[in-house]
Amino acid sequence: MDHPVLELQRVTAGYDGATVIRDLDLTVAPGEIVALLGANGAGKTTTLRVSSRILPAMSGTVRFAGEDVGRLAPHRLAQRGLAHVPEGRGVFFGLTVAEHFKLAYGRERLDFAHALSYFPALAELRDRRAGLLSGGEQQMLALARALARRPRLLLIDELSLGLAPVIVERLLPTVRRVAEETGAGVLLVEQHVRLALEIAHRGYVMSHGEVVLERPIDELRRDRSLLIASYLGEERAEPALQGAPGTGGAAG
Amino acid sequence: MTAVLETRGISVSYGGVSALDHVDVQVAEGQLVGLIGPNGAGKTTWIDAVCGLARSTGETWLGGSNITALTPAARARAGLGRTWQAAELFEDLTVRENLAVAADRRPMWRLVWEALTGAESDPPGIESTLDLLGIGDLGDVAADALTQGQRKLVGVARALAPGPRVVCLDEPAAGLDTAESGLLGQRLRRVVETGVAMLLVDHDMGLILDVCDWVVVLEFGRVIASGPPEAVRRDPKVVEAYLGGAAEESRAALGASAIGTEV
Amino acid sequence: MEQVLAFALLGLGPGALYAGISLGVVLNYRGCGVINVAMGAIAVLGAYVFYGLRTGGYLFLPPLPFVPARIDLGGPVGVVPALVVAILVCALTGWLLDVVVLRALRNASPLAMLMATLGLMLSIQAVILLRFGASGQSAPSVLANGPGDVVHILGVTVPSDEFELAGIVIVAALALAALYRWTRFGLATRAASENETTAVLAGLPPARLSAINTVLAASLAAALGVLVAPLTQLDSSTIPLAVVPAFGAALLARFTSFSIAAVAGVGMGVIESLVTYLQSRPWFPTTHGAQLPGVSDVIFFAIIVAAMYWRGGALPQRGSLVERRLPKVPRPNRLERPAIVCAVLCVAAFLLFTYDFRQAAINSLIGMVVCLSLVVIIGFVGQVSLLQVGLAGVAAFAVSKLSANAGIGFPLGPLLAIVIAVFVGVAAAASALRVRGVNLAVVTLAAAVALENFVFENPTWGGGFTGSPVGPPHLFSVDLSTQASFPAGGGQLPSPVFGLVCTVGVIAAGLLVASMRRGRLGQQMLAVRSNESAAATAGISVRNVKFLAFGVAAAIAGLAGVLYAYNFGSVSADRFDVINALVFVSFAYVGGITSVTGAVIAGLGVTEGVIGHILEKWLGVPASYQLYVAGLLLMATLIMLPEGIAGGPAPPPPVRVISRLIVGPARARRSRAAIDGTLQRADS
Repeated sequence: MDHPVLELQRVTAGYDGATVIRDLDLTVAPGEIVALLGANGAGKTTTLRVSSRILPAMSGTVRFAGEDVGRLAPHRLAQRGLAHVPEGRGVFFGLTVAEHFKLAYGRERLDFAHALSYFPALAELRDRRAGLLSGGEQQMLALARALARRPRLLLIDELSLGLAPVIVERLLPTVRRVAEETGAGVLLVEQHVRLALEIAHRGYVMSHGEVVLERPIDELRRDRSLLIASYLGEERAEPALQGAPGTGGAAG
Repeated sequence: MTAVLETRGISVSYGGVSALDHVDVQVAEGQLVGLIGPNGAGKTTWIDAVCGLARSTGETWLGGSNITALTPAARARAGLGRTWQAAELFEDLTVRENLAVAADRRPMWRLVWEALTGAESDPPGIESTLDLLGIGDLGDVAADALTQGQRKLVGVARALAPGPRVVCLDEPAAGLDTAESGLLGQRLRRVVETGVAMLLVDHDMGLILDVCDWVVVLEFGRVIASGPPEAVRRDPKVVEAYLGGAAEESRAALGASAIGTEV
Repeated sequence: MEQVLAFALLGLGPGALYAGISLGVVLNYRGCGVINVAMGAIAVLGAYVFYGLRTGGYLFLPPLPFVPARIDLGGPVGVVPALVVAILVCALTGWLLDVVVLRALRNASPLAMLMATLGLMLSIQAVILLRFGASGQSAPSVLANGPGDVVHILGVTVPSDEFELAGIVIVAALALAALYRWTRFGLATRAASENETTAVLAGLPPARLSAINTVLAASLAAALGVLVAPLTQLDSSTIPLAVVPAFGAALLARFTSFSIAAVAGVGMGVIESLVTYLQSRPWFPTTHGAQLPGVSDVIFFAIIVAAMYWRGGALPQRGSLVERRLPKVPRPNRLERPAIVCAVLCVAAFLLFTYDFRQAAINSLIGMVVCLSLVVIIGFVGQVSLLQVGLAGVAAFAVSKLSANAGIGFPLGPLLAIVIAVFVGVAAAASALRVRGVNLAVVTLAAAVALENFVFENPTWGGGFTGSPVGPPHLFSVDLSTQASFPAGGGQLPSPVFGLVCTVGVIAAGLLVASMRRGRLGQQMLAVRSNESAAATAGISVRNVKFLAFGVAAAIAGLAGVLYAYNFGSVSADRFDVINALVFVSFAYVGGITSVTGAVIAGLGVTEGVIGHILEKWLGVPASYQLYVAGLLLMATLIMLPEGIAGGPAPPPPVRVISRLIVGPARARRSRAAIDGTLQRADS
């Protein structure tokens, strides 16, 4: 029986007492690309952070490859094959490209050649400091370093942040190739929704810390109104506020 | 209508990377203007520049006078208020004290004199500001005992307490659930009706479309669209900025959803 | 010209010590983001372990229950094994510091970590005082330094060990640079210090990296301590305070570059030696025919300030995994009742106590005033100024000089003295406007050293070696001094009258601080402490608030200095030295840095204070142990009670009864449920 590589069960998490995600259920199967969609502030990044354990869950279970990892230190989880490319900067500006691939602890060895097979352009940049790379090159490096560890699960947060669309269109298909060729599961947070829809198999749409929609990608692709509604608000004749009060739940 | 807050050709760059590129935004008197855009578009940077916290080029005008050369505190005293994404309340103070310390604009020597003579008094208008936002009962609660939703409202109240001409709100609905966000919208509308202009940055498009009179859209540090909320929502460029994809595709999808048919 | 060269080269050895400590400081900062004030103390610890092993054949141990004072090895130990053991002891100290203390403080502010290393520094110094006394020793040499071991260069003759030491430290710096550049460990540390979150996600263990770096730093400092000790004084404070020039070198290196830190450290030694040369020139200013003291400390201070500005002010910030929190600042509910009850208690105490307890109570009251000054500047505004005891010294010497040289006595003299302290404090604030947090701690530490050595030890401006006399205070021909006659108290010194004067001072300062916390000015200070940007955009002038806070804190410190001056009838520099300043800051933290109650608890605990006197008289615990305990307590408090004893959990019942008596019945706090209920109503 193949376990899902990542499984969140009724996970609640947040910062400093303020809940950001509530009772979240989510799975990622090996080789599957799951897109996590939704407006900003919906809790997507928090979902990734709680999955890689850099943010402890307030309640609920986080399973990695079938095993409850609720007590594992985040760097141990990383060593077991979870690679998280965080939002913004997943690289170390003070280190050269080559140094990024020597960066490992204990017995772990990074497979630079494997990474280069996906991103051959990095070969020429070997000795350049990451801080001097362009934004696209930095993200390429972050992805490549994650791949060099031959992860079983790849969490990718806002790869396209601040990048020109052309560059994103070159980076994201690589993720699809990785999933197909290595069997890694991928959980992808991506604001460039069209591209996310192109490469993912399944999508979750989040809103205000909860999953409001979970569909195979075909359905989301076919019916764009589903997404437009969750991003840009419902089309409506009168303000939606009428329904809101009375529920009275200000107990954030 | 005249603009109470206006930026003219404002640009900000961090380490050679351009975060804002000649941005013109106007907030007219008595208006609630929404400033939206994808993550990283430069919305918070714009507020930082307006408040004098981010080094910028270009001009900022407040109520007909040029405030470009003023310090952040002087801009606040000239009638500019702001809130923060993380509320940034003064944690050791009660809610009422948070408002009073912001509203008390008397010079320091007066405060020292009052402290020495023991004749301290709260500036007026604090209770009414709390009531306006529906948090009149929270006055004596310590800021660090509040829930996330309450913190956001107190942040707004603190910005309003000195009686500013315009307030910039940085993601007041982030971290709130749908119901809280709706309530916040109602209260913001109530505030605007008292004559304070507001600029609202948020990702909750429901909130923006419901409460704003005018919406400005930023992408990559540039204004790509502005207009009344419904027009902006239908603008293919905006849909593209948010969802990606060719404008044609989006237009088709918008058309489909507008007439309520399944494709 | 040859002399200049000779003096410059003679600075290489001491410079190697500064460089070695500086390398340790940089390593420690890169490894776990702590500014380690104890690095010099660790170096002297190594030197003393080596001294014990080489000269007496024993390994001394810290005072611990059931642990002997020393392990005898039956005869002097060889150079190499002694050096190895010295380094191992310091490595163990570093490991304990990292694993027990710093790891527990990872969620605390960087300042809390700095304060914890201060605790370690005080503990190490105390252990050395307890085991070796205060007089100092002559350290056994390691490198050959006989009459024949010299180098002739350009016509001057210099001991060869000066060159060897400088060479060793430069090689160490190059080795560290290579380690950080080419090894996986070095790469991992660089990565973790740039962004801890990303490093964790990359599978790197920050805790282990931090421990290895701290151990490495401590070992390096120990080695240099052992090697250089023969060239400097071996005592409990000289080498520990070598951290000040070492910080200067580390700042020039931006707490990053090993080679710059090493070269700058050696340069500091050379500068110091050249100052000695310049002072031998006839044109160099003197004081009373003697050399000006502390000139090099002023230069170190200037270099630190210049480095701070030139290097862009702030240290590179580490991306940390968790948000850091500040201790809470409670709002006092009542003012009058605690003030009156405390006043009554003090009066009763001075009428009933015997002379020795009267003296202890006076020391405690003055200590409370010093701690109140720290509450304002550190607790309310979050600016860690280590200069407050120095400001007290300024006022104390001013009182003495005004009465001795200008004939201005009580009450005008002390008032003027306080005004002078305020001026110096506000001048210090001018630098604090751009420097904050740990940087301010470093700058004010250097300032305190410079003030002590350059001003207080100067026989003209300060006390010199003998101290500066202070005339007794009289008000309308009523004697207020320690010698005043009084019907109670048995006629022994100090007079209860002076105790009452101190009581008035403490109550006044306490009321000022407590009412400020309740009033608008205190609210502005807390707003600035919370978030300077948020305070500024709320219309608060951060600059004015800081000036005011520095001014008020300086005035309170000045009051303490004035009381000190009258307490002893003579002002000497050692009362206001840096070690005392650091001790006060630790007591203030232990008591509770954010409240008047905390300052009162801290005052009771200060050296020669009430608790100390009780311990010494009734339990036989000598004062020398109190510094040791204070250092350990500081570390324990920072870990377990970030708000100090005053903000800790409910005290045992007898203490609770007493505090109820002083403060009055507790007011019910609104429960969380009540608050939530309020909101529900507000929403509907």
